[in-house]
Amino acid sequence: MKIYFLSLGILLLGALLSTVVKEHWKFKVCSVFSFVSALMMLVPSLMVLFSGNVLSKTVYMSPLLGDVNFVIDPLSAFFVIVISIMSFLGTVYANGYMKPYLDKGMNISSHCFFLMMLIASMLMVVTVQNALFFLIVWEIMSLSSFFLVIFEGEKKEVISAGIKYLVYMHLSVIFIIAAFVLLNIQSNSLDFGVFASVMQNNPMLINIVFTLAFIGFGIKAGFVPFHNWLPDAHPAAPTHVSGIMSGVMIKTGIYGILRVLMFVGIPTRFISYMVLIIAVVSALYGVLYAITQHDIKRLLAYHSIENIGIIGIGIAVGMLGLSYGNPVVAALGFAGGILHVLNHSIFKELLFFAAGAAYLKSHTRNIEELGGLIKPMPYTALMFIVGSVAICGLPPFNGFISEFLIYSGMIQGVPSSEINLFLTLIFAIAGLAMVGTMAILCFTKASGIMFLGNPRSEHAAEVKGDVGKVMLIPMGILAFLTFFIGVFPQYFIIGVLRPVSEFVTVQGDFMIFNSIIEFTSIISWYFLMFLIITLILFAVRAVMNRKFERHTTWGCGYDRPNNHMQYTASSYANLFISTLKPLFKRVSHIKKPKELFPKEAYYELEIQDIEEAYIVKPLINWDEKFLTKFERIQSGNIQQYILIGLVFLILAIIGMIYFGG
Amino acid sequence: MITLIINILILLFAPFLMIGVIKKTKAFWAGRKGVSIFQPMWDFVRLMKKDAVISDTTSWVFRFAPVITFASIIFAALFVPLVSGRSVINIPFAFVIFSYVLGFGKFFSLIAALDTGSSFEGMGASREACFSTIVEPAFFIALASICAVTQNYTFESFRMILKSAGAYGYLIIALAAVTLFIMLLIEGCRVPVDDPTTHLELTMIHEVMILDNSGVDLGLITWGAAIKMLLFEALIANLIIPASLHGWAALAAFLAVIFVLAVIIGTVESSMARFRMTHVFEFIFIMSITALIILALVTYRIYGG
Repeated sequence: MKIYFLSLGILLLGALLSTVVKEHWKFKVCSVFSFVSALMMLVPSLMVLFSGNVLSKTVYMSPLLGDVNFVIDPLSAFFVIVISIMSFLGTVYANGYMKPYLDKGMNISSHCFFLMMLIASMLMVVTVQNALFFLIVWEIMSLSSFFLVIFEGEKKEVISAGIKYLVYMHLSVIFIIAAFVLLNIQSNSLDFGVFASVMQNNPMLINIVFTLAFIGFGIKAGFVPFHNWLPDAHPAAPTHVSGIMSGVMIKTGIYGILRVLMFVGIPTRFISYMVLIIAVVSALYGVLYAITQHDIKRLLAYHSIENIGIIGIGIAVGMLGLSYGNPVVAALGFAGGILHVLNHSIFKELLFFAAGAAYLKSHTRNIEELGGLIKPMPYTALMFIVGSVAICGLPPFNGFISEFLIYSGMIQGVPSSEINLFLTLIFAIAGLAMVGTMAILCFTKASGIMFLGNPRSEHAAEVKGDVGKVMLIPMGILAFLTFFIGVFPQYFIIGVLRPVSEFVTVQGDFMIFNSIIEFTSIISWYFLMFLIITLILFAVRAVMNRKFERHTTWGCGYDRPNNHMQYTASSYANLFISTLKPLFKRVSHIKKPKELFPKEAYYELEIQDIEEAYIVKPLINWDEKFLTKFERIQSGNIQQYILIGLVFLILAIIGMIYFGG
Repeated sequence: MITLIINILILLFAPFLMIGVIKKTKAFWAGRKGVSIFQPMWDFVRLMKKDAVISDTTSWVFRFAPVITFASIIFAALFVPLVSGRSVINIPFAFVIFSYVLGFGKFFSLIAALDTGSSFEGMGASREACFSTIVEPAFFIALASICAVTQNYTFESFRMILKSAGAYGYLIIALAAVTLFIMLLIEGCRVPVDDPTTHLELTMIHEVMILDNSGVDLGLITWGAAIKMLLFEALIANLIIPASLHGWAALAAFLAVIFVLAVIIGTVESSMARFRMTHVFEFIFIMSITALIILALVTYRIYGG
């Protein structure tokens, strides 16, 4: 546990130090300090994961906070590993990504400081077991990421995205506070350990507290319909920040849900079905809207919603398994969900980093303007394709393993005695299958239009050369990890099963876990076989290699193709979008050709988020209408405001005396 | 061991004969004599000897994709039961791995089509990707329902439907066969979804994706596509061949089913034209409907009465 505090101290020291050193040293300081702290964090967390012992330390903070428990149990250990490694890779990548900004002479002191604060606060969020202190570090995390998002605050859309993010985060906090207050009233304590004792065997309390906490943490994680901040905040932030936020920070929401689930013990059916339905809807909604997006970072943000949905499906299958008393289903569901947390953080960072590299070179995030980047940027293109295959959940990459565990949990749960469970699971299976194929559609679009074919604009044509090693190496490590986890999943499953065993506590869970490990190692052999088959075929193909000559692409006899004749991202997605018309709000911007000799004309199709268009906007409009009623008491006179405040305070005190007993 | 060798031989060579039979059937209905049923194999051999033309626009993706796609089809084939219900790899949840491995191959064939920078090939890729978003959920619903009613998660469950579902079993088998047959037409890009013999690029799906492939690559792609069709035919064969058949009788029954299915495909192609692109979706939704009826039957079988 000493190592843990030392490592936190190093992060904070790095934060302070990075503000005082010279500009060009700042990110180097960040990387070095986060590297050292990540290495040190690995020691206690790996120890916990392998031995299963819980490390804890109680610190007396202040009369207000009382004793604060810092605990590394297997669940925390798992998240600590994900957070520290992924954040470290993000800070390395930042060295290369921020160089042009540095050369422009931008001040990055505060950026570095908040980056380190974000890492430290995330690490504390997943280890603190005191409700009040948890809220404090949760708030530090939200605020520091807010400052990271508004790095390019001189742009209008960045500021508005940042404020939207801030508002959503505080909505999230309100629900979390409500959940904790309820628990505090029941248990008269702030300690997580005590919470568990009042929650268990109290279904009413479980339903209320879990629903509140799920909404609160779900806003952070990005479940539909609480996702709206994600597609705005990610494109606004610098790429390494989007990578860390999407890969790691939103997972703290998942951590929160899992932690509350741990208080719950055996979940009720109500909350299990609720999580499953919301998760399936999130997964479908995320990928559906990802297909419509042409801003690559927005597209990836929507894919985060999809993957959070997949993680949610895994957790929900685990919950259903627990509430129906089927430990095999529960173990497979939780294992799939928790493994997908790791997997998603890997390939999502990889994709963000590769997309950021393309942005850095081409200065545009609109994939319609890109194309042919594989020629000047071969390594980045390879990384993006690897990430795309992994995020689609295709074997032999890591995304498949976690989705496969979730599938097998669901299929095992299908022959159940309850018709509700049977039908729900069948439709969840179909939903997950549809998510997988839609992800293929989306990522063939993204990688095909961005990196393949011919340049679609000067932005893409002017790209010369790939990004530097400092950006390629983190991507390479991540790409290797996606592949390694895909082919040798059994070693990672062992690490995941330790946190799972905290949820699935039945007689004989040992045997269930062993059979899961055995099954994945069999699959690992088959994937090795797949690799061998592929390599043999490549060898045969190389032997059979005939002469070939180069020519232009076949254009049905037309020999002068130009770059505008290529298929675009809009047209690639159009068949699908027009099939599912009712699910989108389509806004066309048309300028028709006019007069005898028309000069310019254009057609642009914008697809708006229906949740934003039909739920959020009407709510805000209603809110505005309601609040404008109070305009008449806005006199501009400070004395009057103080009077109103006093009256309210007195009313509140009277109310408390009268109703509070 | 003998079964294994026979299975591998069938897997590698029967696809050519199957395509030959389809062509022969079409010739019969058109009143022509038609080419020999071995012609597809000779076509393949000829392609293997040819030089290739490769577009300037393309990168390594285009050159690697045919091999990767072919490898994925071969690997997926290992999970599919062929003669007498034997598959090389028999594990639970094989159908998930089967369709995801095919998806891996499809991913590369799609981005290879985009790699050429041709508007036609992008169009084909878009269609192929779009169709599979509707096909896969139906496939999963049908297979998961069959797993539920037989309480078996491997492809062996196909042969246990009658035993565990009783009289409903016949109906489930018939509907599952229809579902898989429609999937075969979609994945194999046959009429009425796609016309492999059309000459107008605008109306093609699969053929237009491979416009720029030639020589060995084209050979691998056509062979792979034929094997993929055979895999779906093998699934149908396993549904309808009684589990009691063994040995040579099973082999004969299997080959007979493959032959009959090829004749049916040829007859369908002779008797109707391909649908308009907007109507193709309506055709694919038939598959979703049959899958949902299977689900309803299974639900009634397990929970009803």
